[in-house]
Amino acid sequence: MERLLRDELKAVNYMLPKRRKNLRELLNEEYPHVLLRDGSAHMFRHSELRKACEILGNELCGNLLLPIILKMRAELKEMVAEVEDPVAIKLICRILNIDEPESPPLRLYPIHLRILRREIGTLLMYAISFRRTPGEEP
Amino acid sequence: MSQQTLRVTRPTKIELIRLKKRVKVAKRLHKVLKDRLIILTQELIMLIRDAVELRQRICDKVQECESLLIKSTPFIDPSLTESYARTRYGRVEGVVGSRVVAGVRVPLIEVRREGKPRESPEYPILLTLASRCFEELLDLTARLGEVESSITRLGAEVARVKRRVNALENVLIPRMENTIKFLEFKFEEREREDKTRMKKVKQILARKEGTVSASA
Repeated sequence: MERLLRDELKAVNYMLPKRRKNLRELLNEEYPHVLLRDGSAHMFRHSELRKACEILGNELCGNLLLPIILKMRAELKEMVAEVEDPVAIKLICRILNIDEPESPPLRLYPIHLRILRREIGTLLMYAISFRRTPGEEP
Repeated sequence: MSQQTLRVTRPTKIELIRLKKRVKVAKRLHKVLKDRLIILTQELIMLIRDAVELRQRICDKVQECESLLIKSTPFIDPSLTESYARTRYGRVEGVVGSRVVAGVRVPLIEVRREGKPRESPEYPILLTLASRCFEELLDLTARLGEVESSITRLGAEVARVKRRVNALENVLIPRMENTIKFLEFKFEEREREDKTRMKKVKQILARKEGTVSASA
């Protein structure tokens, strides 16, 4: 059972980026991509990068690190994705047309994710976070 | 839902504790898998919708492009049409990459054109319109290829994850819970038996003590 859980977490989290790049850097690349932990590459769509830059404006363009990591919290009962990067929160709030939270993280529900995937699908990446409850054995 | 229990080698308290821990892990795994299944299913549904829409748009576009091309043929030599199509852009390339959706690698296809299109007044306007139309058609076809390939991959992953979720939900977790119930019931029963036995022993001892004191 533990092995299965480990494999399942690995399947998602092993494909996270080694190093994230900023939006401006990616816009200047011919083939915008980041390298993943498993050695492969994750490509971004040029049109989505341009759209993100337009929404954020030139000043914040260099501060947005991509891909935006959506952390899925396995210990919560509902399916909730959390975003902690403040610039990414700004971008997401502008796309979804919602108010920015007073402090990070921004919590996203499936209905939000559906809109985001349509607008900036290649800029997003999921990670499953798994917090141990106190007293639980590793 | 399964009504069976797991085969436990020895019904001991240690086994019960171990089993309780396993249920906890299984429930977490079930939650992780279910979240992943929701993401994958949402993505799959969206892709299927996209594919249907793209197919319809491609069908319409093919008709539109063909009619524009046919209308433009009386005004220009066919060989010139071909040379125009070849030289409209400096370079056209298809970029094939991949992206990751919740642990599944799906393709990403883009058509890129170098520079601005060559549109001179020496060519009829209908030919320019037809070429623009074919450009859009090429983009749509590339996108459809990407979407359909993604559907196949995501579909396979959804089936795999769903099988695991169902196995956990309907077989493994209920079996483990049934076994826990069975073990708890067994321990309670053992406790009751012990109590009765102790009472009996006490009674026997008391009776023996009574007979000994009477004879003395």
